[in-house]
Formats: sequence, C-alpha cells, structure tokens
Amino acid sequence: MRVLVVGGAGSGKSAYAERLACSLSAARTYVATMESRSPEARSRIARHQRQRAGLGFQTLECPMSLAEALPEDVVHGVALLEDVGNLVANTLFLHDGSMQDPSKALELIKCEFASFCHGYEHVVVVGNQVGSSKTPSGNETLAWVRVVGALCCWLAAQFDVVVEVTTGIPLVVKGRLP
Amino acid sequence: MILIIGGIASGKRSYAQSLGYPEERIEYDLQDLLRDAPLDSQTLEKLMHKDVITCCEVGMGVVPLDANDRAWRELVGRTCCEIAARADQVVRMVCGIPVRIK
Repeated sequence: MRVLVVGGAGSGKSAYAERLACSLSAARTYVATMESRSPEARSRIARHQRQRAGLGFQTLECPMSLAEALPEDVVHGVALLEDVGNLVANTLFLHDGSMQDPSKALELIKCEFASFCHGYEHVVVVGNQVGSSKTPSGNETLAWVRVVGALCCWLAAQFDVVVEVTTGIPLVVKGRLP
Repeated sequence: MILIIGGIASGKRSYAQSLGYPEERIEYDLQDLLRDAPLDSQTLEKLMHKDVITCCEVGMGVVPLDANDRAWRELVGRTCCEIAARADQVVRMVCGIPVRIK
C-alpha cells in the first residue's frame, strides 16, 4: 500500500505517519531527508528521533537524493519517507548555492521515486502543504513551492490513499485506510 | 457555478479543464484580478455567470511584511467567501484531488 500524508507546519502529520507506518508492518525503515547543517535542523532532527524512539525504525539517511535509499532487492515491510519538502530542496538547490532547472529536478525525483516505491511492500510519504500563502517573492522559493506541489499531485494520483492532517486529525481525501 | 480553490500547484487548472466546459466559460486565477482593487459590482456579476472560477488560496502563511500584500490577501479571502456563498459547488484541491466542501 502507498499512502501520502500531507499537512501544514506543526499539523501532526509526522506523528500520524509514524503511527500509520507502524500499523502496516513490523519491519520499518525510516528514510530521513533533512541535512543537519544548522543548529535548528539538528534540533528538529533530534525532536523527530525522540518522537520515533522505541518504534523499531531502522533509519536510512539520504540528505542528497533518494537514490541513496534505493534497496538492492525488494525489501518487505514499510518505508516511511519524510519529507517531500526536504527531498525537493536537496535536489533543486545545489551545494554551490545555485538552482537546478525545476522541471529537470522534478523529473529526476519522479524517476527516483518510481524505483524507491518498487523496493518496498508499503510506502508512506510525508508531504508539505506549502502553497496556500501569498505568492513567495523570489524565484527560488516559488520554484520550490511549485515543485513540491507538482510532486505531491503526482504522488497523490498514483498512491492508494491520501490523508490530509489538520490539528492532528487525519482526513482521508482519497482511498481507504486499512 | 463551481468555485475551485487550492494552493499553488495543487491542480486547480487541470481539474477545471477536466470538467468539460468551454475555455471562455472558465475564469482562472481570480486572485490576479484582485491585484489593484476590489471587483466592481458589474465585474462581479459577470464573473458569477461563468461556469467555473479558480482562485489561489493565499491566506494560510505568515502575515506578509508589505501592507499592500496584507490588503490583497485579505481581499482575496473575502471575495472568495462572497463567491462561495453564491456558488453551487465549492471544491478545494488537495494534492490534485478535488475535495467538495459545498
């Protein structure tokens, strides 16, 4: 089963996605996408690590691209990937500070996702709802918002279930939960 | 009339086009018509005779620093409330999925 869980900042989407992943399988892989370059990022990472401590996840770090998390063989169990926003930023923005062509970045991530999903019995992806504010000033931020939105639409179209989390409450907008 | 709202790149345009109305019966990007001023009553009535209106949801982020941006985002929200009250259907797009809220 493939599930996309989306929500705004602090909506409870991660905690919900973790509970859902735990209910899908006892073999659990957590695919971490955040780079630990700033103190704020490190503190967020520590909060998420505490949140899922004891849930039996094996953590796979892939701060560069999803290609780092591709299993060599089909892995049984569930992969929880968090989150689309970081994944897009990691691919779209290069380390020298420049930006890749957004449509190229989108196609690249789609290809990686296809291989990634193929490797796991269940996949839960955490997406970010970032497009419902004033149009961002700055081309780079706008490009990021557009790629995140387009990727979430693409994932939602092919996944079995899409859940929007608001104030910790899951609303199923596509499919049925097990 | 169907009002379709949603964030940037949430699938509003694709969904509007999938409904089968001729292009001239669809008004895209209501938020851009509101850049400079509120709609006058004549323009609003013309809009209400369209079959589909799409508008970006713009009011969910931090309060913009610029006063014009603040006024604009307020105006977009209020105008959507007004149009939604008179619409037959209101659809909110979530990751390309239409969620009918009215």
